[in-house]
Amino acid sequence: MVTANRVPAPAPLACPNCGGRIELRGFAHTRAAVCIQCCSVLDASAAGLKVIQRFDEAVRVRPLIPLGSRGKLQGKTWEVIGFQVRAIRVEGVPYSWHEYLLFNPYAGFRYLTHYDGHWNFVATVRSLPAFTSVRGRKAVVFEGRTYAHFQSARATTTFVMGEFPWAVRVGETVTADDYVSPPWILSSEQDGKEINWSQGVYVPGKEIWQAFGLPGSPPAAHGVYANQPNPHMDKMRRAWRTLGVLLALWLAAVVLHLATSSNQELFRRSYRFAANSPGEHSFVTEPFSVPRTGNVKVEIRTDLDNNWAYFNMALLAEDGSRGFDFGREISYYHGRDSDGSWSEGSRSDSATLARVPAGRYYLRIEPEMDPQAAFASAAGMSMNYEVIVRHDTPRLWIFFLALPLLLISPVLHSFRAMGLESARWSESDYGTMAGFSGDSE
Amino acid sequence: MKFSLPFLLYGLLVIGGAHYAARSGWLASPATEVKNIPKSIRENPGVYRSHYHFLPRWFGGK
Repeated sequence: MVTANRVPAPAPLACPNCGGRIELRGFAHTRAAVCIQCCSVLDASAAGLKVIQRFDEAVRVRPLIPLGSRGKLQGKTWEVIGFQVRAIRVEGVPYSWHEYLLFNPYAGFRYLTHYDGHWNFVATVRSLPAFTSVRGRKAVVFEGRTYAHFQSARATTTFVMGEFPWAVRVGETVTADDYVSPPWILSSEQDGKEINWSQGVYVPGKEIWQAFGLPGSPPAAHGVYANQPNPHMDKMRRAWRTLGVLLALWLAAVVLHLATSSNQELFRRSYRFAANSPGEHSFVTEPFSVPRTGNVKVEIRTDLDNNWAYFNMALLAEDGSRGFDFGREISYYHGRDSDGSWSEGSRSDSATLARVPAGRYYLRIEPEMDPQAAFASAAGMSMNYEVIVRHDTPRLWIFFLALPLLLISPVLHSFRAMGLESARWSESDYGTMAGFSGDSE
Repeated sequence: MKFSLPFLLYGLLVIGGAHYAARSGWLASPATEVKNIPKSIRENPGVYRSHYHFLPRWFGGK
């Protein structure tokens, strides 16, 4: 009894060109075989074997996975029966990749493609994708997934080895179109008579090496391949989702802070200051009560006009046990010049004192103004100002300070994800992030 | 997992920190706490010497 893991032994034949031993592992499926010794392409459908193309020894390529190797991929055992090198030319630069033909007598044929350390496990598809467009560019929909067009090129077979289920020949050329939706790739190949569609999935080289039990390590992957999964995409999505949760929590914290801040007005009084008035300028206010420990905000509003004032202030406990000494400078200037009107400074300012214990307090205020201005103009001599004292005021700006800190992670992941997508699409026909959507979940 | 646990923990720390900072008076205006204030200040405010003396400098205008 034959099982999927016990592939029947191939029938040995002799190469009509060099006499070398040829084993047809694809049985009746094989239409062309390539002698492993002389690389002549043979017609396997003819009685015996007939040479249909001789080989230039100078372009012999050694496959990384030897023909006849067996490995288990996607739950099935596959044997490498063919190998070909295909090439495209983009803007005059040749690019070539390797294709391994895999065979399982019960599952049929699959392909392993390899380019610059990037591997894809490919199967031909039975149904046709539907053409569509994404942002005005070509795309196809297949099995519910949208694939963005990546590249069109003329692909030429430059080297073959082993056996194939079609009449393979070196020099065979097709028009190839690749559509991507990482980690998937959908490719069409048109040779003038028919269009073949195949679907590939990106497989890390390490998995290929393990599957076929190959010695050493796979060649390192260079650059970003068309359908290479974007590892930052998932992190980016998770980060933005998490940010959504955090913004909801942030908003809740802001609402909670506002709801629990009494913002109670304790004192309000208007004053007038004349800089040239004789005597002591400092004075104290009437006492007021701070009901419980918390912040105290002292706000000063003036009518300064092209002038400045300085306020030496102290919030002093009525019983003399403690005080909070602080100062505020207020200046407001404005005018008009060749650049238009301008202004700087502000007519008001405030100071917030942290954790002031409950108790009776009063303010000592000592205003100062520019003595030169006092002599220069009557307006410079005096000002009207108002002092407002509030308790337990909300300090929302601290919450807004936290917002950029919350944005760091999603923005960083977005930059990384977009950087990789940018590198991916720079290799496409579009040279931009035309199909930027990253890998699907 | 749909969410990033490390980022969620970091975010909770940031929001919690902001809440604590807002409540505790972090980054409040600089003020010097003074003790044992003479009661005579109420009658004679001029005797008090502020820690925040005004330092003359150039002010004003573009």
